Amino acid sequence: MIGWTAAWTIARRDLSARFRGLRLLLVCLFLGVGALAAIGTLTGAIGKELSTRGRAILGGDVEVSVWQRSATDAERAAFARQGQVSGGYRMQAMARAGDLAAPVELKAVDSAWPLVDRLTLKDGRSVGAPAEGEVWIAQGAADRLGVGPGAALSIGTLTLKVGGIIADEPDRLSEGFALGPVVIAHQDAPAKAGLTAPGAMYRAKYRIALTASADPEQVVGSLKQQFPSSGFELRTRDRAAPGAERFVARMGDFLILVGLAALVIAGIGIGGGVSSYLEARRGAVATLKVLGATSGDIARIYLLQIAAAAVAGSVAGLAAGVLVTPLLAKALGQLLPVASGFTLDPWALLRAALFGLLVATVFAAPPLLAARRFPAMALFRARVAPLASRWRDAVLPVALGVAGIVALSLIGSRQPEMVLGFLGGAAALLLLLGGLGWTIRALAVRLPRPEQPLLRIALSNLHRPGAQTGALVTALGFGLAAFVLLAAIQTSLDANIQSRVPQRAPDYFVLDVPRDRADEFRQTVEREAPGATVRTVPALRGSILAYGPAEQMIRVSEMKEIPENAWPLRGERGLTYSADIPEGNVITAGQWWPKDYSGEPLVSIDERLADVLDLKVGDQLTIGLLGVERTAKIASFRRIDWDSLGFNYVFVFSPNALADAPHNLAAMIDLPKDTQRGGMLRTLVRNFPSSSVIEVGGVLTQARDLLRQVSLAILAAASVAVLAGIAVLLGAIAAARASRTYDNVILRVLGASRRQLLGLQLAEYGLLAAVLAGVALALGTGTAWLVVVKLFEFDWLPNWPIVFATLGMGLALVIVFALAASLPLLRAKPARALREL
Amino acid sequence: MTSPLPAIDARNLTLTLGEAGSAVDVLRGIDLTVPQGQTLALLGPSGSGKSSLMAVLTGLERATSGQLTVAGADFSAMDEDALATARRGRIGVVLQAFHLLPTMTALENVMTPLELAGMPDARARAEAELAAVGLGHRLAHYPAQLSGGEQQRVAIARALAPRPPLVFADEPTGNLDAATGAGIVDLLFARRAEAGATLIIITHDPALAERCERVVTLADGRIARDTTTT
Repeated sequence: MIGWTAAWTIARRDLSARFRGLRLLLVCLFLGVGALAAIGTLTGAIGKELSTRGRAILGGDVEVSVWQRSATDAERAAFARQGQVSGGYRMQAMARAGDLAAPVELKAVDSAWPLVDRLTLKDGRSVGAPAEGEVWIAQGAADRLGVGPGAALSIGTLTLKVGGIIADEPDRLSEGFALGPVVIAHQDAPAKAGLTAPGAMYRAKYRIALTASADPEQVVGSLKQQFPSSGFELRTRDRAAPGAERFVARMGDFLILVGLAALVIAGIGIGGGVSSYLEARRGAVATLKVLGATSGDIARIYLLQIAAAAVAGSVAGLAAGVLVTPLLAKALGQLLPVASGFTLDPWALLRAALFGLLVATVFAAPPLLAARRFPAMALFRARVAPLASRWRDAVLPVALGVAGIVALSLIGSRQPEMVLGFLGGAAALLLLLGGLGWTIRALAVRLPRPEQPLLRIALSNLHRPGAQTGALVTALGFGLAAFVLLAAIQTSLDANIQSRVPQRAPDYFVLDVPRDRADEFRQTVEREAPGATVRTVPALRGSILAYGPAEQMIRVSEMKEIPENAWPLRGERGLTYSADIPEGNVITAGQWWPKDYSGEPLVSIDERLADVLDLKVGDQLTIGLLGVERTAKIASFRRIDWDSLGFNYVFVFSPNALADAPHNLAAMIDLPKDTQRGGMLRTLVRNFPSSSVIEVGGVLTQARDLLRQVSLAILAAASVAVLAGIAVLLGAIAAARASRTYDNVILRVLGASRRQLLGLQLAEYGLLAAVLAGVALALGTGTAWLVVVKLFEFDWLPNWPIVFATLGMGLALVIVFALAASLPLLRAKPARALREL
Repeated sequence: MTSPLPAIDARNLTLTLGEAGSAVDVLRGIDLTVPQGQTLALLGPSGSGKSSLMAVLTGLERATSGQLTVAGADFSAMDEDALATARRGRIGVVLQAFHLLPTMTALENVMTPLELAGMPDARARAEAELAAVGLGHRLAHYPAQLSGGEQQRVAIARALAPRPPLVFADEPTGNLDAATGAGIVDLLFARRAEAGATLIIITHDPALAERCERVVTLADGRIARDTTTT
């Protein structure tokens, strides 16, 4: 065998500088590797940011938060024993400046804040907590209130001076979702503004910067043990922004699936591309053999050519992946927890390149190993049938490649089952489509020969030696499925945006309406907007401490892991009490308590949570409310219509269970049509300064925008797979065309008209496309369902007419591509075409 | 003058193609000894087995049975890869349809067998060989940029560049007009004479066969006549 250097000399000479013939391989690897590089870089950058900046994001090593009360002296002393402590409050409030009012998130901090990093103002100053009587405000608050540095604004009954506009708030990410821009004030501001009266909805937060040797998890464990019924929500720097981490993890999983899908589709393209390239090089292989090349030499020469194209495609893909990451980050916009600029993540790039090369190995090895057996005698005997594939030769490299792909997929995967399931599914699909291709060939052999000559040729083209039926079935199957997938996902997401964000919702939510001023509140609303309806409910916060049968209750603090979908067990939840069944709720088990009930405290629970926790009517539930444990018996389960934007509480107690606890009311206001809105907001803010008024319209717009962005991100990512699908489709058609050139020329010489030849193409592709439409529909909708329902937990609401129309469009595209690919040949004079054969 | 060791020594060669049931006996017991340096024409009608015999003698196809020694190497005991290795530098082949590598220039086409055989100075030898066939000015041209006659000259240069002791030519003028064909035959004989190689030409053309020292006529897979012309 010749050496690698000599093989490369011949390979390079034989290789077109523009990779003619290998472009499908190049494009497929470019797309697949590019997608994986971009995905890896983006998720890596975000993950790294979240983990390395965890302490800064949390504002300390441990955070303790509790609703509606400050920490007791004993609790504070316990915090202080662990390290340096910064305390403060978070609450919803209304800020006013002149005639303008806006809901804001009031963040009151002590002089130790921030324990990590500094706050940056727009004027460039790096500062800590504001002085008493001063506030730092977010740009959004400045815009809505029309104020700037030096101006005054009021919160509750307190007037404060704007000290500066916030440019970068170090612990913003850990604060979570807020119904308004942030206003940072001195620790004493809420009390002076009258916002921390008993029953008011606020949260006290304490951040602890531990001594260097202390372990955050141990500190959390110790605090839980010392204060089991405190209602504390505890977080460590490792999970500074769990919501963001969950979203990133889910998006990351989806993106990895997209990357793998793009690679599998690319693999099909690579297989097809390499196969048709080597088929076209059959003469060259034979000539090289005549000149003395062994089959080993042939394998080396063409391996080097394919490797050169693979490396070029992969490098271009890596470059594109890195360059596109900032654009992807921009498209995902506010969905991302951190800004991601131009970053280089060597591991992500290496992983993407390895994936590309492994996939190229798996799909290119069989045709490459078959090509080395092309006989030199091909030069002496005209076109011979393709060799029977020696699949045993390819078993080892394919098995090694597959093992490599599986291993690489599992490294660092959070959901190995999902990845394995996907890879298994993809392999099964490839086998299924391969089997379908074989079946179509076998059926075409057995069908009676049609009398119409073109139909007869079209049918025989499906099974004759060298027919591309198998490759076409796989490529068309995946390509058409990609169209269906995109249509099903897009229409489902659109429908979710329509249905999840209610079209009809109250005009205002009002938080912290003082209980003793409920009537006055109603009268104010009625006076301002005659005919308006006002609904109020008691609003309290409490955490679930224990549940289950009275004699063997499970304590949440002792659970190793919170069950999936049991989110109400995490931290504090909204609680209410009511004499009547809440509007829109249906009792599914047990009974509602009678009016004026005064017996044992009772509670009614969401049936889904009851199911997750395996609760029975008659079991007990213990809650922590303002640091005191209260136990109630479960009287009933309810079905809640979560899609209605109303007061939906998982836990509704009998009035005698909670009414004695200090609390305020939450209110919903529905205005009659055509009511002027501005006056209502101003009047409520003026008359109820400690209440927060939220205009629902703005929140809904925000929610719709957010969902649209999620939808856009999913579609943008899925488009990569579709692009790869289209490339594969075009490649398969081009490869099939090459094998038809000879036939078409001969048919033209024999007198076939262009129209007849076009008819032949139409019949052949029409036949295949018709069979594959059903397969693509099942494949595309099945995958879309997995993405929409299982991965993103949206409802499955595809618009079938659009899905079918898209499939029809895909079919039309296939036919048009096939016919367009034949046109140059049909336009050529037969004699000239013959010379070019 | 010929040396005692023959260039080709074939004993009872047979070649059967196709599967059982539809098998065709292409060669039926060929006995042929060709001394080194001889020029030999293989004549015969289409289907007589000329090209198949050449394929077997060049090691492109393995005989179904019989003994074959080419330039001292026992071809009947070799597998396909060993045959390819044995061809290197020993056997040159010129084909009717030229079969140049379309992606390579004339020079690169001629360099390739030299490189496959691991010969030094491949470029210089290829340039000299192309100059010898009158294409010193066409080194960087691709096959598609050359006329049919020029392409066949490149093919001759490619076959002769490694200085093989044995050269086969399968209908070397079959794709060319009479005048060009005559020029190619002159060139082939002249280059063969310079190299002192054994030349076996497969042809339908009795006039071309007349130029060889020996004419072997095949019919139905057997040697029907074996005559010496000089």
